[in-house]
Amino acid sequence: MPILETQNLTHVFPDGTVAIDNINLKIYPGEFVVMAGANGSGKTVLARHFNGLLKPTKGQVLIDGQPITKNILEARKKVGLVFQDPDRQFVGQTVTEEVAFGPENLNLPPAQVEAMVKTALEVVGLNRFSQQNPYVLSGGLKRKLAIAGVLAMQPKIIVLDEPFTGLDYPGVVQVLQQILRLHEMGHTIILITHELEKTLAHAGRLVIINQGKLVEDGQPEAVVYRAEQYGIRMPLRKGEEVKDLTWLK
Amino acid sequence: MAEITFFQYIYGDTILHRMDGRLKLACMLLLSLAASFATALHHYLLAFGLLIFALRLAKLPWTALLKDLRFFGLIILLVISINAWTIPGDPIPTLPLPGLSRQGVVAGLRFAGRLAIIVLVCAVVTGTTPLRTFGQVIEWVLRPIPFVPAARIATMVTLTFALIPVLLGQFAEMMAAQKARGIELRKNPVRRLYYAVFPFLEQMLRRTDQIVEAMEARGYSEVRTRAVFKSTKRDWLIFLLCLSVFLYVCCS
Amino acid sequence: MEPNEFFKPTTAPREDEARTNLRMTVYVALFTALIIIGGYISIPLPIGPVPIVLADFFTMVTGVFLGYRWGLTSVALYLCLGILGLPVFAGGKAGLAVLFGPTGGFLFGYLFLVAVVGFIVHKGKPSLFKTAMALVAGNLLLYGVGVTWLKTVLKIGWPAAVAAGLIPFIPGIIIKIVVASALARTLLPRFQQGPVPPFRQ
Ligand SMILES: Nc1ncnc2c1ncn2[C@@H]1O[C@H](COP(=O)(O)OP(=O)(O)OP(=O)(O)O)[C@@H](O)[C@H]1O
Ligand SMILES: [Mg+2]
Repeated sequence: MPILETQNLTHVFPDGTVAIDNINLKIYPGEFVVMAGANGSGKTVLARHFNGLLKPTKGQVLIDGQPITKNILEARKKVGLVFQDPDRQFVGQTVTEEVAFGPENLNLPPAQVEAMVKTALEVVGLNRFSQQNPYVLSGGLKRKLAIAGVLAMQPKIIVLDEPFTGLDYPGVVQVLQQILRLHEMGHTIILITHELEKTLAHAGRLVIINQGKLVEDGQPEAVVYRAEQYGIRMPLRKGEEVKDLTWLK
Repeated sequence: MAEITFFQYIYGDTILHRMDGRLKLACMLLLSLAASFATALHHYLLAFGLLIFALRLAKLPWTALLKDLRFFGLIILLVISINAWTIPGDPIPTLPLPGLSRQGVVAGLRFAGRLAIIVLVCAVVTGTTPLRTFGQVIEWVLRPIPFVPAARIATMVTLTFALIPVLLGQFAEMMAAQKARGIELRKNPVRRLYYAVFPFLEQMLRRTDQIVEAMEARGYSEVRTRAVFKSTKRDWLIFLLCLSVFLYVCCS
Repeated sequence: MEPNEFFKPTTAPREDEARTNLRMTVYVALFTALIIIGGYISIPLPIGPVPIVLADFFTMVTGVFLGYRWGLTSVALYLCLGILGLPVFAGGKAGLAVLFGPTGGFLFGYLFLVAVVGFIVHKGKPSLFKTAMALVAGNLLLYGVGVTWLKTVLKIGWPAAVAAGLIPFIPGIIIKIVVASALARTLLPRFQQGPVPPFRQ
């Protein structure tokens, strides 16, 4: 059974923009999916439907076979969404507060909240910064904190919206390692990006969105050759294979 | 003004940092009340003595604190001089400025002393208490009162404190941008206020919707983990100290 | 009993209700913070020696945007923070003594101001005229309460109370009413449309 499924998902904004159009997608437990598409193709809008931040004009989203509208809080616990811009995601004044926000919403006992925060910070390696103000962290650390924030709720699925924007080389490597680590830990990963050269080697599946429609879905090795026609830079240079597409050495 | 880091928590591990939030806020309440009742010189000296002791205890960075207080210093000076010149009375023989009266100076100093105590109390408390604790304490106080949405009010308080520095920063930035584009040239006061506030408010409304979205994405719920407070004997001792200062100032 | 009932729930379905409540919670915090910083920031205007303080201006704006119920919540929160001893009243003052001092009437008056403005603006169809009238009525109440209070506490006569508590502020009041009306016209419709997903590029 798919862990996440969208059925005929369509979103039309009040001004008439059709941001996503009839998207049918099934994600299975433990997958590592890269979702690509040009600017404005609808990736962010799609991701915001996964945990009910946006409501579909038509169609529905199922998690573990259940429509998310049934229990929205449960859906938000299961699908952790890491925003495109981490600054927009922060709600706490210190790193600890920021990470504790999610577990507190689940109404867990204080001791358990504390334990979850500690674990999440350890996983991303931020425990040294637990009393810092989130806004003063470096770009890479901010991204890690954003990840820790959703990780503390122990979601089954983690959706990362363009996690590499604005990061320098070490920043990208740090965050990429982090994502792989989460995948190894058993989380289902949906990684939204248009920079295939940084990550595709690790993905088991490549999905391409173009002008709101799902146009390609399959093995990276098969799909990657058709990426360019949808406004995504062809990541393969002469003699390279998909397994070379990573910024990790 | 944007540098007012006034409601900023400064991480530390001192007696005051570890103190039970409920008692700490009670102390704040008592001391600022005492400040409003203070009349005699030794009341002020007592309060200042206590505060200097608290500042030492909290190990707050003096220099940063003084920088923050600069702004209030200006207000205090203003208050003293307004009082000094507006309250009628006898002139001071050693300082014969026209219009200056002894009664006025005394009243001004008294007023300024109160203000300084309140500001210092607040500096010590906010410097040693994470914002979230304020919300938690207020939630704890309201919890037993029926029909009051304690969790919601706690969230409001925490967010209010969090937003103040953001707003001040945003406002300063925006004023600078407006100056760069020559707002000074506008003589019409209506336009001037409008062009100062409109972009500021628009930006803040957008920022607020972002905060709402961020909280929603993490499943914000008003049925949430409640804080547990623990108080030690030492916390009670500090509280009793503040209580006795309060009682002394009020009753003597 | 649901604590929500304190703020009378709307007829919207549960999830939308939670969403609206959260949105208004955050907005109450925003406007409370605006009222607080309004007591600190001032915009130098080329009229008179008194710079305009913006606390009352933001109280008007609060009423315009939040309506009377949430607007009152916001002002009440502001007053409570001041009572607690945080220097939130204009010029860094705080405490019960200020609230019950000579100018306390102007602080309590904010409650009337925000309630009247919020009630009138949010009743029926919005229009510029109605907003302006609401603001005028709100200010009449604010200064009515404030000046009466001033007179009573200081035990002075009406002329003195009006001279100290009303006359110097009249130009400022007019400017603030005009600007608040203009803001209501440009920003309020957008605000009422509901949360614009802010990620629009
Ligand atoms: N609030 C909104 N109102 C109207 N249209 C919107 C809104 N938000 C987004 N859109 C439109 O929906 C489309 C999809 O936007 P979306 O943000 O999902 O793109 P994206 O694939 O994430 O792009 P990027 O790579 O730039 O992040 C765009 O055409 C955008 O202009
Ligand atoms: Mg996007």
